[in-house]
Amino acid sequence: MTTQRMEIDIQEVPGAEGVAILHFSGDLISESVRRINECFSAVGKKGKTYAIVDMTEVSLISSAALGEFMGCRKRLIEQHGDLVFSGLDLEMRTKLNLMGATKIFRIYTDIRTALNSYKWEIERQPEKIHVSFPPYLKIVPPLRQLVSRIARQKGYGNRDSFRIETIVDEICNNAVEHGKPGADDLIDLSVIIDPDKIEIDVRNMSDPDKVASLTALLLPENAEVDKLKPDVKRGRGLTLIKMLSDKLSVECTDRGTSVRVKKVREE
Amino acid sequence: MAKTEDNNEKKVFPYCRKISFPFSVNVRFPGDLDYIPAVRKFVSELLQVSNFSSKFAYRSEIIVDEICNNAVAYGCRTDDAQIELVNSIFDDRIEFTIRDQGGTKDNLRRLKTAVKTDADGKKEQTQQGLGLEIVRMLSERLDVVIDEENLTSVHVVRKREDDREELRPSN
Repeated sequence: MTTQRMEIDIQEVPGAEGVAILHFSGDLISESVRRINECFSAVGKKGKTYAIVDMTEVSLISSAALGEFMGCRKRLIEQHGDLVFSGLDLEMRTKLNLMGATKIFRIYTDIRTALNSYKWEIERQPEKIHVSFPPYLKIVPPLRQLVSRIARQKGYGNRDSFRIETIVDEICNNAVEHGKPGADDLIDLSVIIDPDKIEIDVRNMSDPDKVASLTALLLPENAEVDKLKPDVKRGRGLTLIKMLSDKLSVECTDRGTSVRVKKVREE
Repeated sequence: MAKTEDNNEKKVFPYCRKISFPFSVNVRFPGDLDYIPAVRKFVSELLQVSNFSSKFAYRSEIIVDEICNNAVAYGCRTDDAQIELVNSIFDDRIEFTIRDQGGTKDNLRRLKTAVKTDADGKKEQTQQGLGLEIVRMLSERLDVVIDEENLTSVHVVRKREDDREELRPSN
């Protein structure tokens, strides 16, 4: 059985200065270790601290080569970077799993997913979700769950996710209750999430009959907690959002109402 | 009795409008696998609050999962790629339209082959994955439109039929 010569191609990523994509091909045997080491040294000298190792064309990986990758990863982590794998086929992935390497290395399906992860974790780039829905109250519970699940999936803790869920519930309920009725006038929910905070923006068409009362409700003197009347069962929504969030702004005009909430991650 | 309670509720909360069909809910999310579990659950819950059965909702969830996974895997080229899922809900059916920025020429060719059916409505034998085949089995209609700029749009129609013969073979 003949071995295929290992080839390495280093690619830089425009717009992601700290990232290098290393396309490996052929067999990564014990004789390849020195070249792997030299390659990562060259990457380090260019100031790249996050290496995406593309294994799409790799047919074999020896334990010696894997050990070298572990050493390189350790050096990159010391510089606040990482070494991740992408493009492994099922067979290769199973072998790495058997060697216990999947507990050490993060493995992504493709380069784009690995790059997204870099942008999220290292560059802390925000991601945006947008939902437009008709003003039906029954749609709000699935919506609040959607945002809460996304927050949890993105690493937010249970307490943060629950608070985010409550905020979404309150502002969407308000948009349905006080907005213009009619399935054609959709409510827009935008969520911008990054590892440190979440920003929620809900916009709806204003109901002309309610603009004046809503504007009065939003006056600072009416929004204080101690002004709430104990015998009145409703009208605590915005106060609750204020308590749960770090920033709340409401804009109410004849054209539409926009509620913006910012919540900083606590856990 | 239930009707009186319903009327009372409407008096207290006049904004508790009954859902009237058809209506549409659009979701736009980043082309990242992380978002798919939350989106599929959202569609399932949306169907259940629209009085579709949990079985219908679960099977629709599978469709959403498949088409979203395909869109992320084959329809996103740039890092900031977004996917748009339009859920058009009628009283007798749901229609999904998923739009992405379109993949490479090879991806588009594979997608076209996977969707292609012959004159008898039978699917051509291919070596592709089972994703779209599952979607076809769970739906009444599956169309793909690829525009001049390679923007891809997959349209799926699934009808409400509680006693329908589910998971029938496609040929």
